[in-house]
Amino acid sequence: MLPQLWAVLATAVVVALLAVYLVWTAGRVERLQTRAESAARALDAHLLRRAAAAAVLAEKRYGVELYAAARIALDAVPEEREAAENDLTRQLRAVRLDPADPACEAVIAASRRLALSRQVHTDLVRDARSARSRPLVRLCRMGRRHPWPRYFDIDDPTLALPADVPTG
Amino acid sequence: MRIGIVCPYSFDVPGGVQNHVMDLAEALLGLGHEVSVLAPADEDATLPPYVVPAGRAVPLPYNGSVARIALFGPVSTTRVRRWITRGDFDVLHVHEPLIPSLSMMAVLSARGPVVATFHTAITRSRVLAAAQGMLQILLERITARIAVSALARKVQVEHLDGGAVEIPNGVAVAKFAGVEPLPGWPGECATGTGGTLGFLGRFTEARKGFPILRDAFVALAPHRPGLRLLVAGPGDPDDLFGQFPVEVRDRVTFLGLVSEVDKARMLRSVDLYVAPNTGGESFGMILTEALAAGATVVASDLDAFRRVLDGGRAGRLFPTGDAAGLRTALAELLDDPAQRAALTACGDQVVAHYDWPVVARRVLEVYAAAIEATDGRVIDQEWVGLGGPG
Repeated sequence: MLPQLWAVLATAVVVALLAVYLVWTAGRVERLQTRAESAARALDAHLLRRAAAAAVLAEKRYGVELYAAARIALDAVPEEREAAENDLTRQLRAVRLDPADPACEAVIAASRRLALSRQVHTDLVRDARSARSRPLVRLCRMGRRHPWPRYFDIDDPTLALPADVPTG
Repeated sequence: MRIGIVCPYSFDVPGGVQNHVMDLAEALLGLGHEVSVLAPADEDATLPPYVVPAGRAVPLPYNGSVARIALFGPVSTTRVRRWITRGDFDVLHVHEPLIPSLSMMAVLSARGPVVATFHTAITRSRVLAAAQGMLQILLERITARIAVSALARKVQVEHLDGGAVEIPNGVAVAKFAGVEPLPGWPGECATGTGGTLGFLGRFTEARKGFPILRDAFVALAPHRPGLRLLVAGPGDPDDLFGQFPVEVRDRVTFLGLVSEVDKARMLRSVDLYVAPNTGGESFGMILTEALAAGATVVASDLDAFRRVLDGGRAGRLFPTGDAAGLRTALAELLDDPAQRAALTACGDQVVAHYDWPVVARRVLEVYAAAIEATDGRVIDQEWVGLGGPG
């Protein structure tokens, strides 16, 4: 065969491989991005659930301060939400929760689920951010239809209880 | 919920991960979920009904012992894919996905939510760092991670750049509490006389601390007629008996390597279970098993042990490596049935938190979090059967 033909063939193979890699990377970025967004929606839902459970409990027994913290967490604008949620965690830690009371148990369960949701969200946001900050991904501006994934930085909302499974 | 679990090691050889997978699967089935376990095994092997064999396993030296895992290849990849497609699982739960095995293949073939449990605390950080790019592709397919010990979690955080939920190993309390002791054991235990001490594990391995127990036993035996020592675990009987002076040898009984059932019977046959380990324990599974069997536990004051024993309320702690301290603790407890009863009562409460149904509910919560993070829907406590204590 002619040497020129070899060159053409080699170029074609390189181009094809590059295209496959680009398509694969774009799919990967898209998948990680979508997953981080789903995790953010789940986290949002769990934050609302915990605040709602705390509000119910506050109306039943612990009164104004806890109720106010729950309300503020529910109504917080995005920029103030992390602080408001941390404040609610502090208020919940300050009261004595009795696992036998269904309203308390609801708050404890909601906090536990929130802790898991936060952990998963943080991991998935980290994956999405690391994929998006790769040079090739930035160069091709992959994932530009999605906002840059944001961490939700709050303290661990787990409520330590004597009856809880000892871990750590 | 439809749950697919992948175990990388063959069930023909007993091991920590295999037992964990079987107990978890049975606990989840007991809570009313559909469970299928994929594990390497020959087609004709006798397996529990929920296990799907994935073909032959080959022996591979791993972590100081020989593990039997299925190899990579077109045949096993096809089987893994087919099992995933047919199973139509809500969540896929893989164990030890970082070793080249069925678990790794399953992660690479999975589409939906994947939960991974890390058992060993691999610390070969240079290997991990070198393979970081490849590892990243694998890890980013995992939605939620579980570590069975604080040490395994530390590796996640420091070397794999991610968090993990710590959920301890469970213990099947009913299996340990329900069995009969060995005939003739534990025998009488009164003030100044009698009593049975127990030790389970490799007595030749330095970090298990057997010599500390031996010294305490040899020192205590002349002052306490009828005191006996029951030892179980792999090893040569001559190596064991050779460590003891001739006059106390007939007071030592060696059972050799025991099955799971005999292990439970052995733990039921002792007054005091002694864990003289000098280090290297990340969790202390044997302590939860001894507590489940209702034995009073005497353990060295290691972090992991202190945590399981609730700071000493559920079992007596002695300074690590101190044979004289152990001897004092043993003499005191053998003479004091009331104190033994108090420790055992607290032990029952502690071990209830490690009971498999309780641990399985916590795993279910992680499944729920993984499903939620994949499609954004939120799962009710009731739907996954998460009511009750957690």
